[in-house]
This record gives sequence, structure tokens and C-alpha cells, in this order.
Amino acid sequence: MKLAMKDIENLSFEEAIKALTDIVSKVETGQIALQESLAQYEKGMLLIRHCRGILKKAEQRIEKISTEPDTAGPKEDA
Amino acid sequence: MSMTENYPTVYSVSQVTSLVRSALDERLPSRLSVRGQITNWTAAASGHAYFGLKDQNALLGCVMWKSRLAAVRFRPENGLEVIATGAVDVYPPHGKYQLIADQLEPAGVGELHLAFEQMVKRLQQQGLFRSEHKKPLPAYPGRIGIITSESGAAVHDIAKSIHDRWPPAKLFLYPVPVQGAGAAEAIAKAVNDVNRRNARLRLELVIVGRGGGSLEDLWAFNEEVVARAIFDSNIPVISAVGHEVDTTIADLVADARASTPTRAGVAAVPDAAEVLAGLKHNESALRSRLVWILDRCREHLKTVRASGVFRDPMLTVRIREQRLDELAPTLANCLRQLLSRAAAALQGCSEKVLRIEPHRLVGARKVQLGDLVGRFRASVEKRLDAARLALSASENRLAALDPRAVLKRGYSMTTTKTGLLVTSPDDVSAGDGIVTELAGRNFIESTVVKKYR
Repeated sequence: MKLAMKDIENLSFEEAIKALTDIVSKVETGQIALQESLAQYEKGMLLIRHCRGILKKAEQRIEKISTEPDTAGPKEDA
Repeated sequence: MSMTENYPTVYSVSQVTSLVRSALDERLPSRLSVRGQITNWTAAASGHAYFGLKDQNALLGCVMWKSRLAAVRFRPENGLEVIATGAVDVYPPHGKYQLIADQLEPAGVGELHLAFEQMVKRLQQQGLFRSEHKKPLPAYPGRIGIITSESGAAVHDIAKSIHDRWPPAKLFLYPVPVQGAGAAEAIAKAVNDVNRRNARLRLELVIVGRGGGSLEDLWAFNEEVVARAIFDSNIPVISAVGHEVDTTIADLVADARASTPTRAGVAAVPDAAEVLAGLKHNESALRSRLVWILDRCREHLKTVRASGVFRDPMLTVRIREQRLDELAPTLANCLRQLLSRAAAALQGCSEKVLRIEPHRLVGARKVQLGDLVGRFRASVEKRLDAARLALSASENRLAALDPRAVLKRGYSMTTTKTGLLVTSPDDVSAGDGIVTELAGRNFIESTVVKKYR
């Protein structure tokens, strides 16, 4: 589960939402073993926490793109 | 009186032309506006344009130099009613007068309106507004580029509208002038630039816009160069220009439009509150579903545990024992039946054997044999009688052939003593005893005395 947690941390919001949707539909169809559904549930909760985290950590900032393409690294990679 | 009266002055062509020009200069205002319909519009390679203006009765040749033409924003076309402003001058090589136009505007409608209509029509024909070219917008954009003026209110309006709905979005401003000379080119370059550099910028969405203003102020967003850049963009583009009522070419060609910069967020990003509600819904759905699965499993376990196997493990054994008990007597019965059936069969056979009665059988055979013997004898007897009859017949016939039969008629037969028949005197010699047979097997023995011949 540790590894899965780390994987989830690296997901974009879109990927996390997609993974979550997959889990919900998989669990909802009921065609899933109990053990597996428990694992999926835990993963789903982690995904939800991750999504909420993304929404909470929002920084609300605007960066400026350098309009001179050949200057040293643009700030957007910061 | 004078030569000059009889022979009027002869001018050179150039002199006349010069006179006409000065006459024109004298009588015509130095600048005038002419309304007419464009005809024979010719854009020369030099960049200058040559055309005519006509009404029902007259035609006026016109020329517009390249430098002035660049300022015309609509497309002059044949048949278009325009007002051209400039000076009438003479073109000596052709000996004709023409209007050197330095301004051209459509008659009746505003220049910019006409230019806009023309651009819409042209780009529409080229398919730039077609829905199949619209790119889908990302559902949860994380990195959004904003191409607008750094100093205007639009950038803050756009940023606020996005962050209000979707706080995690990271915004990247690409500052450009949004009005005045060169604005359109700068905006187009910005769109091209972020596309070219997007491997590093990783923008998922670009918003191009500015706040409200006059049609003149918004004009950059109606320029073809901007339309082309937006059309060519690989990153989805949202246009957010002016007020609600304003529509620009950029709006038409962009993948989506926001009616104003303050509403860019609605077009660009999801509402975090809605997303959170969706997450909450998912959470409770997952939870209740899991509870349901657990309940079902528990229920199932209960049923299994309540089943007979767990209540009385020996039950199945006993059931089988009972069945065995049921089967055992049946098996014995079967055996008994089988035996009695065999005995009955045996009995039947022995009765048949007993009914055979050998004595009667032998008697019958004896009678049969006696009968056969009798028939045999009779047939043999019959055959013997026939044989006897045949035999006596043969004897009679043979007796007739008996050489001794002639003896009965007085003949005799002479033989030697050894029994050889004497048929010639040579057969005997004098002194030999001979035997003469007479009929009835009577013999006379005598001696040969003499032979005769």
C-alpha cells in the first residue's frame, strides 16, 4: 500500500479522477471479490484524499512567460 | 491683321496636358470625395491598386498607392459602393485624368463592419469555423496560458474567474499589446510561440483575450493573422474578448469562447465545489457499496454455517447408511428371485427329459427295423427269382449250343486218351488208343488199326 500511496501522489487531478471513477464503477458492478473490493476501497479513499489535497494546496498565482524564447530557462518550470 | 489671328497657336501635346492640369488645379478643390461603385479593381504586383469608380453615366479612373492601401481594412471588391477621397490629377502618358485616392471607405456601412463581414465570409468558406476543427478542452486543466495585456484589467478578471472556480490551476501570462498597430501580429506570434515551446511550458489550455472596447479597440482579434494562429494551435484555445455582445473572429475560430474575460473561468475550468461534491458522492457510494458487499458476504457466511453440513456433520453419512439399509434387502430379494427362477427352469427341463419314455422308443424302432428287414428280403427274393429265370433261359439257349447235342442224333466224337479232340488222321498213329464219345456220355475205347486217306 505504501508504494500505491506514492504512485497516487504523482497522479495529476485528471488521472486521479479517472482512476477513482474506474474504482467506483468496478466496485459498484459487484463482480469483484471481497478482498479485492477492500483493497479498491482503500485505494479509492486515497485517491479522494489526493484530489482534495490538490484542491486545497492551490497557490493561486500567475507566472509570466518570458517572451524572449532564447533567454535562460523560463520561470514556468519553477 | 496679324498672323496670329489667321493661324492660331499650335501647342505641343505636353503643353496642352500642362494647360489641362493647371485648369484642373484652378477649378477643382485640391481634395475631394467621390462616391461610386468599384469596377475593374486591379491589384498590381507593385502593391498599388488601379480601379474605376462608376455611376450610371460616368466612369472615373482611380489609383491608390501601396502605402495608402495598407490602411484600408476591408477588401475593396468590384461592385462595392465606396467613397474615395483624394486629388484629381492628370496622367500625361495616357492623356487622362484620374483620382489619386488616399482614403477608401465603404458607403453606407462602417468600414470595420464591412471588413468584419468580409472576413467572416472568407474564413467560413475556408472552413476555419467548422466544428470538426474544435479541439476538446481538458476536464481539469492544471496549466493554463493567458495571452493578453499585462496592464489591462482582463488578466486579473481572467485569473480571478479561474481561481474562484478552480484554485489548483497554475496560470502563465504571455503579455502582448491588445490594440493598436502590431497588436494582431503580436497576439498571433504569442499563440505560435507557446505552441512551439509547449514541450517545456506544458500548457493544457490557452486563453486569448482582452476587456471591452470599441470595435476599433477590439480589431486585433478580427485580424486574419490571429485567426490563423488560433486555428493552427495544437493547444486548445479559449477566446475571451470584450463585452457580452461583442463577437470577434477570434471567438469564431477558437475551440471555445467566454463572453467576457470575467467568465473565462466558466469556459476553462470545472467548479471545485461541484468536483468536491462529486468526490463526496463517490466516497459515500464506495463506502455504502462496500458495506453492502460486507453485509452480503456476512449473510452468505451465515447461510453456509446454518446449512446441514455444519449443523450435523454425520448427517450425510447417516443418510447414506439409511440408503444402504434400504438397498440390502432388495439385493437379497433379487438373489432369491434369481435362484427360484433357475430352479423352475431346471424343473421344466427334467420334466421334458422324463417324458421321452425309452421303451416305447425302442419298440417303435424295432417295428420299424422289422418292416425294413421284410421289405429288404422281399426285394432280394424278387431279384433272385428274376435272376433264376434269366439263368434257366440262358441255360436253355446254351444247351442248344452244346456240341454234344449232335451226339443224340448218332454223331460221335473221338479224342485221344489224353482228351485231345481228333479231327484228322494225323492226330493219331496206329496203335494209339482212342476214346469215342456217344450220346448220353457213353464212351467206347478202341485201338487205331489203320489210317486211310
